[in-house]
Amino acid sequence: MTYGADDQLFELERLNGDESVPADPADSTQQRWWQKRATIGWIILAIAVAIPPFITNDLQLNRLSRLVVLALAVLGVNLLTGYTGLISLGHGVFVGVGAFAMANLIDTGLPLVLAGLGATVFTGVIGVILGLPALRVRGLYLALITFGFALGFPPLARRLGKLTGGVTGRNVSNDAFSPPSFLGLDDHVQIFRYGMCLVVVAIWFFIAHNLVNSRVGRAMRTVRDNEPAAATFGVNIPYIKAGAVGISTAMAGTAGVMQAILNPYVSHVDFDAFLSLRLYAAAVMGGLGALIGAVFGVAALILVPTLNDIAGLLDNDAIVFGAGLVIVTFLAPNGIAGVFQGKDDEAEGVSQR
Amino acid sequence: MDLLLQRCFDGMFTGAIYASLAIAIVMIFRSTGLLNFAQGEMAMTSGYVALVLLTGSGATVSMFPVAGTGFASTWVPFHPWPTWLAILGACVFGAAVGALIERFIMRPLESKSTLSQVNVTIGLLILLNGLTLQIWGPFVRVFPSPFPNEIDDYALIGGARLRFTTIGVWVVLLVVIAALGMLLRYTKTGLAFRAITSNREAAALVGVPIGRTLTLGWAIAAAIGALSAALIGGAIVLEPLTMMKMLIYALAAATIGGLDSPLGAIVGGFIVGLTQALVPGYLGVPTELTLLPPLAAMVIALVVRPHGLFGTVPVSRV
Repeated sequence: MTYGADDQLFELERLNGDESVPADPADSTQQRWWQKRATIGWIILAIAVAIPPFITNDLQLNRLSRLVVLALAVLGVNLLTGYTGLISLGHGVFVGVGAFAMANLIDTGLPLVLAGLGATVFTGVIGVILGLPALRVRGLYLALITFGFALGFPPLARRLGKLTGGVTGRNVSNDAFSPPSFLGLDDHVQIFRYGMCLVVVAIWFFIAHNLVNSRVGRAMRTVRDNEPAAATFGVNIPYIKAGAVGISTAMAGTAGVMQAILNPYVSHVDFDAFLSLRLYAAAVMGGLGALIGAVFGVAALILVPTLNDIAGLLDNDAIVFGAGLVIVTFLAPNGIAGVFQGKDDEAEGVSQR
Repeated sequence: MDLLLQRCFDGMFTGAIYASLAIAIVMIFRSTGLLNFAQGEMAMTSGYVALVLLTGSGATVSMFPVAGTGFASTWVPFHPWPTWLAILGACVFGAAVGALIERFIMRPLESKSTLSQVNVTIGLLILLNGLTLQIWGPFVRVFPSPFPNEIDDYALIGGARLRFTTIGVWVVLLVVIAALGMLLRYTKTGLAFRAITSNREAAALVGVPIGRTLTLGWAIAAAIGALSAALIGGAIVLEPLTMMKMLIYALAAATIGGLDSPLGAIVGGFIVGLTQALVPGYLGVPTELTLLPPLAAMVIALVVRPHGLFGTVPVSRV
């Protein structure tokens, strides 16, 4: 793509009514930084993530960390569904692939960081291979296929016993995940791991932020809004779609990697179809097409079970996610993020057939 | 040879049930262009209602009591009902749920994007599954078969056993298709439904009551789905996950046949049923992975022929 074509894409996006693209980039600098709602939001978020280590015990913090890393899977769904228009009901599968890959790579004796990177890349590659039909199939059909993946993965993982531990699951030797001594956190391993999760999540959000604001991000949104027009403007559609699938599933893979680090025991039951559905519900409730939506989404993933435990009302909090998905679609088509950004117009379309 | 025939019979049985749920999905897709992901769960809720209707108050099914039987014995006349009547009751319940969902959830979203509408059906899937789990628990229930289903209720054909339940399910499917076909062909409502399918705006212009007809369409689709849940419950078991797997098989069937073709749904159901019965046996796929062959068939069908065997290929305008 030449620079000129990119400029036209930018223009096309504005014509398609995407408010997030300012007419003149200089407009957004007119407010002082402390007057921007986004800045206040970031400060609140920073305070919110700093509180848990002080008010929870190790077990609770571990549970919380495992939910926090799911932000990456939600972000993956958001990137794919919200930005590229490819519905994914199967991201739980890639969390699972990442976790099992991590467990196996640890056993080979690789250093922690390398194993994590390896598992992430591996998951992305698997994602692209499984997503190849996505290059041909559009909209609803993709939702259908990915839902099939979500249902098919647990029995497959149960079957591949050598890699996954079969029915009982497998241990992850996570002795290596201790804080380096200079941090002085030797007695607070869980706090260190919680911090590590936050750092990893932040890195991926940074990458995603740069991605969606780049030329590739604009191409993704154009593919979502109007595929024939994107092709006319010279967007290489299969390339963009495959890339989005790869990045998005790699993110989910990292979520799996962190799960394996936090939980010394991974099993196929942790990655059933309901995880995928929950991730999708969280992404939609949080707000598709806005990165901050993934933060709101994962907040729902954390708060709903917690509040349900406290209230003791439901055996199964899926009801809340199901009802939430319906209610959000009615009241806030752009999710919680849309409410905060003052966007209450319609969610972006996915082509019908 | 016996074994091949036997497997074909087994595949025909499940295939008929997949076909009926696929018809429900196709009906809604044809008229609204929407894939209803909640179709399976709507059916499952109806299946549990049938279970409540036919179980006496306080009785246990598969060792666990059924929630709601006490309520039913107080408020439902002549409770517990015989199996057939209970299934009919479940169909009526399913139809009511379908109509309510269309009227109060889907219609207000009519002008919204497809993504919003699909999100709502996914939300309903999660919600109904959660509710079923909450009310009736995660237990596996044996649902009584409406057909003679003793150990020796079969006809021996070419050395293979054709069970009466298989024949029964096919008869039910044929009756449903015939009734549906007659409804669409010979009644005014059917004409209205076909008019909406072929050109919605034009239908509205000539005075077809779009809303009422679509509500009825959803009701009929949901009733057919309820029937499929009761039939699969009679054949296998009823548990909260049953219909989620069923949904994938039915979606595979509808996709292979072409999402806007009722004939395709039946043929697709047949193909999925046979794939599921034959492939594991001959290719050595372990039985716990029976989900994979139909899934593979669906992916292949989508890649090779995205609009299915009998579907219409849409022409898109830039």
